[in-house]
Amino acid sequence: MIFKEGDKFIEKFHLSEKIYDGFIALFKDRNPLHTDEQFAIDNGFKGRVMHGNILNGFISFFIGECLPVKNVIIHLQEIQFKNPVYLDDRLDFFAEVSGVFESVNTVEFKFNFKNVETKTVAKGKIQIGVFK
Amino acid sequence: MEKEKALEKVNKIFIDVLDNEEIVLSDATTANDVEDWDSLTHIQLVVAIEREFNLRFTSMEIQSWTNVGEMIDCIISKNK
Repeated sequence: MIFKEGDKFIEKFHLSEKIYDGFIALFKDRNPLHTDEQFAIDNGFKGRVMHGNILNGFISFFIGECLPVKNVIIHLQEIQFKNPVYLDDRLDFFAEVSGVFESVNTVEFKFNFKNVETKTVAKGKIQIGVFK
Repeated sequence: MEKEKALEKVNKIFIDVLDNEEIVLSDATTANDVEDWDSLTHIQLVVAIEREFNLRFTSMEIQSWTNVGEMIDCIISKNK
């Protein structure tokens, strides 16, 4: 198994207008919290709150493109959203291997996203299978 | 570790992973007897059991089990 407990990975993501527009174009979630600046401010936020599931797209990129092997598949993913993410935010993504289960070729990661203020905006775990 | 106690802990894991409060395992239980115990949930079960009992199985051991009783025997042998 190429992974071992404690292995760490770091990526940087930018929640750009292109990603935001693309997400809305694809999935049609135009809830005013995401699209109406004044609505978001009236509800206590600094501006339009980005869709939390955009972060799941970043996780998909991490698993699919950033690991040292490509023969992987996501079995399970859990995410908690802790703080809002806004348009143009730059996020640091940290992942650490929290479990290796060779008997079933499975690896578990704990992860978190932090914004530039080093506040955790989301955290969770991902379990992947490594197929032969 | 007593077999009964190990079975009880494994039963709790099955209930949690398969989200089914009605699961009652016995030594003779097989995957065919438990709804949703498929190949993917099998992985989740093994991961949860390895973590709960703080042990690691080999793929050979897992493939050798034909029922829950054999899984429990394997857990007990590793906890001696």
